[in-house]
Amino acid sequence: MATYIAEVRSQFPDAPSEFLTREDRIGLWRAMLLMRGIEQRAMTLYRQGKVPGSFYDGFGQEAVSAGAAFAMGPHDRLCVLHRDLAAHLIRGVAPTRIFGQYMGRAGGITRGRDGNVHFGDYRTGCVGMVSMLPDMMLVATGMAMAFRMRKERRCALTWCGDGSTSRGDWHEAMNWAGVQRLPVIFVLENNQYAYSTPLDKQFAVDPIKRAATYGFPGISIDGNDVEAVFEATRQARERALEGGGPTLIEATTMRMHGHAAHDDMRYVPVELIEQWRRRDPIELQERRLAEIDVDVAAVRAAVEVEIEAGVREALEMPMPDPATATEGVFAEGEAQELGDGAAPWSGFSTPLTALPADASAPAPSPVDDQETHRWAS
Amino acid sequence: MGELTYLQAISDGLRCEMRADPRVLCMGEDVGVFGGAFKVTDGFIEEFGPDRVMDTPLAESGIVGTAVGAAVVGLRPVCEMQFADFISCAFDQLVNVAGKMHYRQGLAVPITVRLPSGGGFSGGPFHSQNPEAWFMHAPGIKVVAPSTAHDAKGLLISAIRDPNPVCFLEHKYLYRRIRGEVPEPGYTTPLSARVAREGEDLVVIAYGAMVHAALEATQDIEGARIEVLDLRSLVPLDEAAILESVARCSKVVVVDEANATCAAGAQVAALIAEHAFEDLDGPVVRVASPDVPIPFSPTLEQAVLPGAERIGEACRELLAY
Amino acid sequence: MNPPEASAQATVDVTMPQMGVSVAEGTVVQWRKRVGEWVQADETICEISTDKIDTEVPAPASGRVLEILVEVEQTVPVGTVLARLATDPGEGKGAPPPEGAAPGEPAPAVTPHPARHYSPVVQRIAAEHGIDLSRVVGTGRDGRVRKQDVLAAVDRPPAVDRPPAIDRPPAIDRPLHSESPYRPETREPGPGQPAAPPPTSNGAARPAVAEPDRPERLSRMRRSIGEHMLRSLRTAAHCTTIVEADFSSIERARRALGLSYLPLVARCTIDALREFPVMNATLEGDTLTRHGDVNLGVAVSLGDEGLIVPVVHRAQELSAEGLGRAIAELGRRARAGELSPDDVRGGTFTITNPGAFGAIAATPIISQPQIAILDLEAVVKRPVVISDESGQDAIAIRPMANLCLSWDHRALDGALAAQFLSAIKRRLEGWDGG
Repeated sequence: MATYIAEVRSQFPDAPSEFLTREDRIGLWRAMLLMRGIEQRAMTLYRQGKVPGSFYDGFGQEAVSAGAAFAMGPHDRLCVLHRDLAAHLIRGVAPTRIFGQYMGRAGGITRGRDGNVHFGDYRTGCVGMVSMLPDMMLVATGMAMAFRMRKERRCALTWCGDGSTSRGDWHEAMNWAGVQRLPVIFVLENNQYAYSTPLDKQFAVDPIKRAATYGFPGISIDGNDVEAVFEATRQARERALEGGGPTLIEATTMRMHGHAAHDDMRYVPVELIEQWRRRDPIELQERRLAEIDVDVAAVRAAVEVEIEAGVREALEMPMPDPATATEGVFAEGEAQELGDGAAPWSGFSTPLTALPADASAPAPSPVDDQETHRWAS
Repeated sequence: MGELTYLQAISDGLRCEMRADPRVLCMGEDVGVFGGAFKVTDGFIEEFGPDRVMDTPLAESGIVGTAVGAAVVGLRPVCEMQFADFISCAFDQLVNVAGKMHYRQGLAVPITVRLPSGGGFSGGPFHSQNPEAWFMHAPGIKVVAPSTAHDAKGLLISAIRDPNPVCFLEHKYLYRRIRGEVPEPGYTTPLSARVAREGEDLVVIAYGAMVHAALEATQDIEGARIEVLDLRSLVPLDEAAILESVARCSKVVVVDEANATCAAGAQVAALIAEHAFEDLDGPVVRVASPDVPIPFSPTLEQAVLPGAERIGEACRELLAY
Repeated sequence: MNPPEASAQATVDVTMPQMGVSVAEGTVVQWRKRVGEWVQADETICEISTDKIDTEVPAPASGRVLEILVEVEQTVPVGTVLARLATDPGEGKGAPPPEGAAPGEPAPAVTPHPARHYSPVVQRIAAEHGIDLSRVVGTGRDGRVRKQDVLAAVDRPPAVDRPPAIDRPPAIDRPLHSESPYRPETREPGPGQPAAPPPTSNGAARPAVAEPDRPERLSRMRRSIGEHMLRSLRTAAHCTTIVEADFSSIERARRALGLSYLPLVARCTIDALREFPVMNATLEGDTLTRHGDVNLGVAVSLGDEGLIVPVVHRAQELSAEGLGRAIAELGRRARAGELSPDDVRGGTFTITNPGAFGAIAATPIISQPQIAILDLEAVVKRPVVISDESGQDAIAIRPMANLCLSWDHRALDGALAAQFLSAIKRRLEGWDGG
């Protein structure tokens, strides 16, 4: 049993972000709802045998990916990890393609080549992860390196877990980013457990304290407060764009499900789970929206419709053709770069119009002078 | 340009490409101010600046991993491992991140990893390895190994222009010991094999430094006309050229400087056994280093590494068979 | 004072060092010592410059500078001797490291195959061109047929030593028989035989200028054979009787059985020896011993080296096929140098078969202490007179060969020799599978 638990230790921010409009706050919540809804629906499909392999979710951690991704601009680039589904949704990936991906269908984002959340639709500026964590920290560092070299006002961001801070690549990335003062944001999702390994078996010194030793600031925040996550990322991004270098953001949260669907997490004390359940990020944000008279029921209903439509369409998708199994190992011709993603935050585009009263109609696409993808289907 | 050494040709290829394509940068330990441990990038930082000739921290995984990131946002990084041996520290990034990315995500990773490889000068176990087989075995990575100055420049440029991760094996023993005509403008060498000498009684298949040992060994063996096939590219492997040489010569000696088990030559031998069985007039013979770390002391190292003598002996025996 | 003898003095080389793994050469910049000067071990003897670094070269031993071989400004490869030091006797570098074989080196695995194993490419070429591989001479290890051997069989006209195909009538000017023990595995003819013309040409070109005389001692084997021959001639009263035989029946039988002539002739000879036991005898001094068993000696050519006569013991027990196998096996062992002493002892009668090269008669020398030797010469198609039942004569073309028997007049007379030969001839001409 773990005896060392990471507490939310900061009051950051000490006031609500003044950069979030009403629509932004709804958008943040919507992204989390969509993530949870998709993952719950997929868990059912998994138990029905329609999702092969293993199934990972970010139940209870939705704010960490929703908040951070929301602060990233269309030209920024992300390395998204397995409990960060909201990031994909914010960048513009349709739920049906995610269901297709889980089920290994030809219409999935990797067309059946990789499973669960090992994906990144490169057209949205997201790089698909590998299982060796935190390899993607170096990739994000490299992207930031290119931005700095070309003197572009762009930023790279990746998430990493508490367990991954023990591996060499974590240190190589932290050191490299620090020594070259790169515009990269490392969001450390401290969800208390790496599979069954609690924090006191993972490190002797809080990772957040180590940022300083690599030459840049670290900030610890409440990972279940989506607006706090947003604000911390927004500030880190500004710093990066101004040439201030990297930031390590420790978002303290709790992994509310097992490591994967096959893990019953019996090694986690029940009291701990209860404690964190009372701080559910979706309920937290819902309460805030209710206070400003948002029709939360309508939003929930719209999300539900979207998810169901996505599942239906995905179930129709064929399995990949076995004859294609050996194709695509090598790229041919011109190398395609990562593309731009959607960036629904009002700070990047003209404000979204209010959500239509008809919850079944699709949300209007944000219009601005930058190319963005349609967000939320 | 006239005659360049193998090392100068590599420099020249890199310089040509960096001038032609602003996306190309080189990154590695000591490549910038110092000009590289072997001086391949000598003078580069003065011409291209510290961003494009980057002195990295001592972090091989970092070099390859950040190169992947830079590549997917439009740059063309050329990583230098100070010695090929150190690629083991970057194995994970190269094999799991770079190698598998396009297959899984449809995202190309156009990086080049330069690997100064090979032994013959008391470099010892950690400065003499030939690691190409590890990466032949990893899907999604191309592997090339020039043996001449001309091909060194051409294959490097081909590697840089390729949208895939490419391991470029530059053999240290050849750096200053061989030279050849190298055209001045940039050019690409195809990823295919080259007949170094035509023959018909036996063919020696080799790559890298072993091509020269093979040519030396087979200059004059009892009047036999011995072909030497320089593979040049290990992934993709030029199967057609291999099978054609075997069909013509019917007797094959496959040479690896690398350790015998599962070396590139083992793949070549298996290919021949499967597809050229009816063309064979004798067993497929392999000459390779035994499975030992490359030793330091000259008498031990010379006993381990194949050379003209062992290759010649193998050829004589097989000819008589 | 006389300068010291170079051979009485130890010298040590000063060589161009390798300053870095890729450095291949260096340039001498300055000599700190001159010829005749003394230098201590480790003391700087010269300065060099390389691609990577300039450095001083410490002397490898203490001694006097004997000679300087590379001048200032000269660039030489790594390992070149720059100078030599004369060290005190007893001093100097240790023995050079021994040249060792590669430890645990994977030896090129070329395992010899039995002679009649054909590789895939050989079989394919043979099949494509309709070549009978059993007729192809192999020049590979252990007589293995190599690719170039079967290719040569495709290219060239049928060789002198190659028998015709089963259903093709032989050419008139070529002897019919095959598997002569004198047929060479190498190119060399047997003793006393003319050199075979190279099969691919019709007469080699004569060199324009005669080669100079080259005296050479005879080999031991050649001297040994010579001694035996001389002794035999001095011991026995040699006579030779010749009978010609019609080989038509033998020719048919040979093809049917897939044998060469020799085993069939041997079988007939053995039967004749039963009829004339005095021919199956040995003579030592005045004692003539007739032998119950026919231990048949068969002469085998060893090419240039000479010949040897291994013995088929109790040959009377073997059929023609059995004789064929035994003779082939002995021939193989003889050429491979695998005969045991028993293999060449105890012979009671010898057959020799050198007709491969076209000769039609010979006067062989008896193998002591036997009293006769049968020489089967070339089988050649000739016109012969035959009579039918009604006494009508006609000319027919028949394969004829001379059976030349050399015999010892101390043990028998010409009449017996002729009768014996006729007995063989009768059996040959009347062969019906006996």
